[in-house]
Amino acid sequence: MANTQAVPKTFRLDLLNGLHAFGTSVVRGTTAADAFKAALYLATATINADSTAYTATGEVSGSGYTAGGIAVTNATAPANTGGTGVVAFWTPSASLAFGTVTLSTSFDCVMLYNNTAAGKNAVSVNTFGATTVTAATFTLTMPTNDLTNGLIRIA
Amino acid sequence: MQNTDEPLIYTIKGNLPIKDLNYSHSWEDTDTYMKFIETYTLDGEIVKQSAHVYIKQGQQLNSELEKI
Repeated sequence: MANTQAVPKTFRLDLLNGLHAFGTSVVRGTTAADAFKAALYLATATINADSTAYTATGEVSGSGYTAGGIAVTNATAPANTGGTGVVAFWTPSASLAFGTVTLSTSFDCVMLYNNTAAGKNAVSVNTFGATTVTAATFTLTMPTNDLTNGLIRIA
Repeated sequence: MQNTDEPLIYTIKGNLPIKDLNYSHSWEDTDTYMKFIETYTLDGEIVKQSAHVYIKQGQQLNSELEKI
């Protein structure tokens, strides 16, 4: 046998499950998964990799939409299956459906954030082209939850 | 007996007969998402418009290990 330097496969999965804290972390009151939410942002907003947390600045507003967005369904735990185990991935387990809304100003971005964390820490940002909705539903269907398509993947 | 029920659809102007509205739809297909938009207009005004986005692929973080 020979030794090989590596980032252990399980480390990536452990990160998604919050098992490591190399810096100052938070006191967790439970072992349950955190609650996540999804908020929509105007096409004129500046939401990107530098966005550290949920913000009301640039968020859409309109009939049927509540500031802060909607709850994300999280019924499927992170996994690293389907390949060599090098990629850990997680995807919301249901589409994001924004009820009957009227959002007249163009929006093009959704931010997922941790609603359990006091800081409402950002998790992911996805864009989808300028969109408006009138008296109808806006739906975001999630990608296939696997090692090549999952919404969040750590390789 | 004649059926006088008229199919209605919810719009920004309340429930309107579908037959009075013009319907159109469009698709956007990019590398990262696919979007389907349905639009109903009344006299040129959008009274109902839905959008459905399919995110094709999420985002990946790549970890690297420096040699010691």
